[in-house]
Amino acid sequence: MCRILAYLGEPLPVQNLLFDTDNSLVRQSYSPRMMNTFLNLAGFGMKAWDPTSLRPEDPFTYRATTLPSYDRNLRFISSKLAPTCLVAHVRGVTYSSEAVVADTNLHPFHFAGARVVLAHNGHLRRFPEMRYSLVEHVRPELAQRIEGTTDSEWIYALVLSQLDDPYGLPETRELADATANALRILRNVRAAHGIDTSSPVNLCVSTGRAVVATRVSFDYGWYPPEDDMLETDLPFVSLWCAIGGEYTKRNGGWQMTSGNPPRSVIIASEPLTTDFSTWLEVPEYSMVTAELTREGLELETRDLDV
Amino acid sequence: MSDRETVDFLATVPLFEGRAEADLVELARVMRRRTVPEGEILWRQGDHPREMLFIVDGAVSASLDVPGDRTVEIGRVGPRGTVGEIGLLDGDGHTMTVCVTETATVLALGRLDFAALLAGQHPSALGLKRRLASLFTARLRNQLRHLAVSLGGEMAVPPAEDAARTFAELEDCRPPDSKYVRRMATFHDFDPLALWGFLTSGSYVRCPPGRTLVAEGAPSTAYYLTINGAVEKVLVRGDWRIRVGLVGPGRAFGYESLIDGRPSPVTAITRERAVLLVVPSDLFEQLFNGEDAVSRGFLDVIQKDLIASLRETLRPSARLAGSV
Repeated sequence: MCRILAYLGEPLPVQNLLFDTDNSLVRQSYSPRMMNTFLNLAGFGMKAWDPTSLRPEDPFTYRATTLPSYDRNLRFISSKLAPTCLVAHVRGVTYSSEAVVADTNLHPFHFAGARVVLAHNGHLRRFPEMRYSLVEHVRPELAQRIEGTTDSEWIYALVLSQLDDPYGLPETRELADATANALRILRNVRAAHGIDTSSPVNLCVSTGRAVVATRVSFDYGWYPPEDDMLETDLPFVSLWCAIGGEYTKRNGGWQMTSGNPPRSVIIASEPLTTDFSTWLEVPEYSMVTAELTREGLELETRDLDV
Repeated sequence: MSDRETVDFLATVPLFEGRAEADLVELARVMRRRTVPEGEILWRQGDHPREMLFIVDGAVSASLDVPGDRTVEIGRVGPRGTVGEIGLLDGDGHTMTVCVTETATVLALGRLDFAALLAGQHPSALGLKRRLASLFTARLRNQLRHLAVSLGGEMAVPPAEDAARTFAELEDCRPPDSKYVRRMATFHDFDPLALWGFLTSGSYVRCPPGRTLVAEGAPSTAYYLTINGAVEKVLVRGDWRIRVGLVGPGRAFGYESLIDGRPSPVTAITRERAVLLVVPSDLFEQLFNGEDAVSRGFLDVIQKDLIASLRETLRPSARLAGSV
């Protein structure tokens, strides 16, 4: 069922977010605290934007289907990267021989040449039934680039298709609207196929300068009979954020310092520390947008009625 | 403090009201008394709970760490008050940091001894559960009041008539498959026969999204348990509206009024189409005050729900930019 993490703000070593905290993203792959019926063992991926790097508009990419906790390369790289924006993801799949663990299914999704990436925490129930009805809503050149078997990559193509220029750099508002439009299309296609069971769609969409995150579920609270994912999906899929000056180690623990105006934000499926007193829960059925500006970080949370 | 004095003190604690003297003597034996100086922190928010405390004299303050390096005092507790029971009941970390504000004498009750008080079928255990439910309801109301004040503005006129009309218009439906209900965390510990008794105690209704079932400021007429779908618990003040809880499968709403006889502290509106178990107030009273296996299970369900609601209201959440 996956865990996602996005960071936007002051340059911050990736290692601090992936490894150093007592509920870090890598730890959430094998010991998620807020989803204890499911593990995220089907691979890791990240995109990191560093303004001081070559071609700063292109994110640094790392993906591997191996377990991130045993991945020495990831650990070495994480200690050398200090991006201003990061999107990272640990993938969870059902314990079934039908699940495909492959490089092409790793998040964040990013078509070559596009400026937008997307990671997804959730799943669309009965996706195979609705997949090909999405084709008419996806630009043909984008549909052709779908390589994997996931619902998430289709959602990515759908979001890109809602942008005026899928390969351009959208304004934050356009990116947020494209994400909401994609969710509305999914709702309509689900309805057309008579799909009315719970399907969480926590998304993290980013350009490196802005992050749009959703905490939403279609038909929350409705499940097919004898459902394998019932216990995982009974609670609304979580999403949290920490907003402030900088994420730093203080008094032996990691926390977001206060900052007015704020300069950094972390958005994650779960707080990165067991002490979550400096974290805010993102409300259910909502969208968070964050953008780095000269004045600081602009942040908004709004109700998402899709 | 002698054992006799401890027993006499325990007899004045509201939580033990009506408890037999022999029980209190037994309880006094397992409690540990200590004096704690002003300024001492008894535990911090998130710490693993090991004991609850009864304040004999002096006072303590309970506060919440919130983002922005801030601490908010939630309340003060003085003689005959208690702190720390929520963590003991659900096993999660302490909800707040507790600090001594006036040098205090406290009696500590450990986790196992507290669990023993609540275990078993003795009427005194059920009485304690009911009093805990009342205590948690009062705390929940207090916390919701804090949240409402932070919003400013006036409470909207309660659309109680709307809620009554909605209730009359609800469409009856069949009970859920008990195998589905048993998979909900709320009912994992429920005895199968008692669960059947509980699930057949009320009626089932379907409700479309966007319907107000309970109005803040008006009395609730029933206990509602969500079987499918979701219901929002909201506070509305002026142009601001905040969600203080989302009641998904296995969670309940509408019962605070039925426990303490006061108006509902929140408005409950269906967010998704929903199937609900509806237990009218007279049946609720029977279940809440009964002594059979169904009532025992029901009291546990109420207690879990109140604790979850309290934790939700104590958890800082991002405010939505949109207004009502």
